[in-house]
Amino acid sequence: MTAALQCRAVSKTLGGRTVLDGLDLDIAAGEVVSLLGASGSGKTTLLRIVAGLHDPDRGEITLDGRTVWSAGAAVPPERRRIGMVFQDYALWPHMTVAQNLSFGLKAQGVAAAEIAQRLDHALEVTRLGGLSARYPAELSGGQQQRVAIARCLAARPALMLFDEPLSNLDAALREDMRVEMMALVHREGITALYVTHDQAEAMAVSDRIAIMRQGVIAQFDTPQRIYDAPADSFVAGFIGGFSLLPVSVAGGRFRIAADDGPPLATDSPLSGSGMLVVRPEDARPAELHPGNRLAGVVQARAFQGRCWRLAVGLGPHRIRLDWPEGPPVGAAIAFSLPPERCTILPG
Amino acid sequence: MSVSGTHRDGAAAIARGAVASTRYPAAARKPARFSLAAALIYAAFALLIAVPLLLVLAQAVVPGLFDVTAPSLAPSLQPLLRAFSSSTILVSVLHSLELAAMAAASATALGAGFAFLVQRCDLPGRRVLAALPWLVFLTPSYLKALAWVLLMSPGGYLTQLGVISSGFAHGFFSLPGLIFVQTLNLFPLAAFVIGSALAGLGSEYEDAARLAGARPRTVWLRINLPLLAPAIALSLIAIFAEGLSDFGMAATIARNARFDLLTYGIYAAASDYPVDFPLAGAQALILLCLVVAVVLADRMLRRQTDPKLISGRSRPARRTRLGLWRLPATAALILVAILALGLPLAGIAVRAVTRTLGAGLSAENFTAAQLAAALSPETLAGSAFAHSLFYAVIAAFLACAAAILLSAELDRAKRVMKPLILAISLGAVAIPGVVLGFGYILLWNRLPGFRDAPFPDYGSPSLLVMGYAAAALPYCLIIILAAIGQLAPSLGDAARLQGAESFRRLVRITLPLIFLSIVTAFLLTFIRTVFELPISQLLIPTSGTPAPPVVIRLFNHDGDGLASALSLVSMLATGGAAGAIWAMAKRIAPRRVSATGADA
Repeated sequence: MTAALQCRAVSKTLGGRTVLDGLDLDIAAGEVVSLLGASGSGKTTLLRIVAGLHDPDRGEITLDGRTVWSAGAAVPPERRRIGMVFQDYALWPHMTVAQNLSFGLKAQGVAAAEIAQRLDHALEVTRLGGLSARYPAELSGGQQQRVAIARCLAARPALMLFDEPLSNLDAALREDMRVEMMALVHREGITALYVTHDQAEAMAVSDRIAIMRQGVIAQFDTPQRIYDAPADSFVAGFIGGFSLLPVSVAGGRFRIAADDGPPLATDSPLSGSGMLVVRPEDARPAELHPGNRLAGVVQARAFQGRCWRLAVGLGPHRIRLDWPEGPPVGAAIAFSLPPERCTILPG
Repeated sequence: MSVSGTHRDGAAAIARGAVASTRYPAAARKPARFSLAAALIYAAFALLIAVPLLLVLAQAVVPGLFDVTAPSLAPSLQPLLRAFSSSTILVSVLHSLELAAMAAASATALGAGFAFLVQRCDLPGRRVLAALPWLVFLTPSYLKALAWVLLMSPGGYLTQLGVISSGFAHGFFSLPGLIFVQTLNLFPLAAFVIGSALAGLGSEYEDAARLAGARPRTVWLRINLPLLAPAIALSLIAIFAEGLSDFGMAATIARNARFDLLTYGIYAAASDYPVDFPLAGAQALILLCLVVAVVLADRMLRRQTDPKLISGRSRPARRTRLGLWRLPATAALILVAILALGLPLAGIAVRAVTRTLGAGLSAENFTAAQLAAALSPETLAGSAFAHSLFYAVIAAFLACAAAILLSAELDRAKRVMKPLILAISLGAVAIPGVVLGFGYILLWNRLPGFRDAPFPDYGSPSLLVMGYAAAALPYCLIIILAAIGQLAPSLGDAARLQGAESFRRLVRITLPLIFLSIVTAFLLTFIRTVFELPISQLLIPTSGTPAPPVVIRLFNHDGDGLASALSLVSMLATGGAAGAIWAMAKRIAPRRVSATGADA
């Protein structure tokens, strides 16, 4: 029942602003892909276009090779067999849980016996068994979230869309729900497109992440590849916690702008000006890589349990480091960066 | 940038095996650009409201347009020049402006005070008093005006009881008296507008100011009053427009006071023999220009107010302790209740069960004959009462059904039609009934092609009911669109993605969630229509006369006892029916929990 999704050269202009600019996206059947981007990057627009709630200006969208939207023809959303978990869950408040689940099945003319069977399955896998007679307002936030997912599951969609589904839950519940939800999506083998602006959430839920910038995809790769090798400084800047420093680089050596120390080593083959990516966990004791030693001043510190998160001033620059101790603000600090972790991006 | 998908094994591959057997949707369709149903709905809207109004405007500048003997399409300013050179009409314009402006100021002051005392002070019986503006609002203005005639005329009840001197009674029928009656008539609008602004004005701003060291007086002058200023301005504008358009006062107490008003001038030119349609058109144009100017000012003000600043999400404010002022404030509100509702209703009720006004409250003056006549289907009054109830039910059904269809269609067509229809509707709310009624005469009695249409027929109740429904449609549309606007759009989107077509979405999702708003629109239309005066007067059918014109005619021809009985019976029946329907609707309404998503 699950399907591959293909978006070809999808463009959309809203109120004179280009929201999607010839965007291409391929998702394999059973794959979970996140659309990650700042607000206004076009991720929600793309999601709604895939659902059929918006029409693009140009392009083509296919599900398993069948066109659901092109300039000449459009399948309306009610016939696309796409499920969506909305940010506000969109549970119909005047219907019980069971009615919420069966509404769409009845609309599609599914036989009563089959409806009962699908309801049982959906309620069971979402652990909502005893709640089918409740109204949405009588459920907790996490339970409402599960009803929204169960409603999608019962419809057996070809593709499931998630529109920032965790943003209405409090932090403690968010992680539990995320784990539970994605375990379910993987177990049922559903193709899923997941919109979020939280990179940690995107990393946790997806097989691949599409990072969006101004209507196009800036990088589309697995979470690990994006973390280790961001395509450019925009992507690196979007991954929380990374610090970017302007450098000049040549022949495997680089120098941080406005820093008069000796040049440091990197594996990067670039030459010219670039951006050094410093991941917080990359900082090592100064003596470990004496050739890549840097010295700065602690500007702020925050205890984070297994380490301290420091803001360290390096001349005019400021970087974030995870450090085993928490020196007081104003203290000098020396550390080193392993050459193989010194990723330098062009420009 | 094109990226091909990675391949995954396990669950996904198994699931993919099922793809072949998937029942896939029917053939893709062309995106719809035009729909016959939508075109019909818009055409009906145009025919109900837009075309009659256009004809009124056309009549004003093309005087020969509907001339029976020599029709002509020649435009001319002659009707307008005639209107502006007639001292009677100029005086009526000035009178209308004068009365509307004074009443706007005094009713806003009264309504603001009322809203403040009821919502922000620790008065006893707040909840009961809060219903007063609604009751006053639902009582038709011409009945309140007629009641004040009974109360204040030199031989009236208040002179009989010695509350006022007969000299004072004589003086009452002039501008100050009219302002007094109109203030009590229209203060509910101010109480609604300013009350809802007060309700939205949470205590945060006040708390912040107090923590910053401001005293209560300063808080009100420097924080609350500026934040409420847009609401106060809106109230002034709304009451001014309502005062200009009002026909109930113009046709009753203002005529008694020989105080000519513009709305009555239009009616007289359009229906008193010999009819002068060009002059009626010119006066209607003047009135419409004044009303449109006011509505435009209102639009501009609304654009300036930041809806986020005063939001419904604020915390409820704490109530001011009145201390020693508690008793006088309560007494003042009770006085308002007596003057705005208690006395007029009492006046009508007493007159309904007494033979003559002059014999007052003496025991032998009481009779049940008038009530019996009003209830008997054989008398003119009794049949008028039955007709009005019947018309009102049909008009309310029509208006609500049209509003539902139109709002469902508007929900789909977002681009051009939505702002256009909304603008016309918001404008139409301010359009005086007398102008719309005049437009109906022009359209269905004069315009070739429509004049001879078998339905609706000029002079038959069908046209009258259509006029009622048209006059109510903008209100119903605004109530229903507002209710739909409260629904999270995701509720409908979710239903679409679940495979529900538009009709099923309307019936199963939208209508149940706005059920009580539909009932509200229905009941408001029902009540307003039973007592609708200007359209009833202008489109009075040859048989099947509704109650309001009969009331006015009886009052003007020494039948005030029977008129009062008819009014009393109408009010009791309408109020009782509306209350019963509302109670029933509340009981059968779908569980009304949060419809703005699914907050726990």
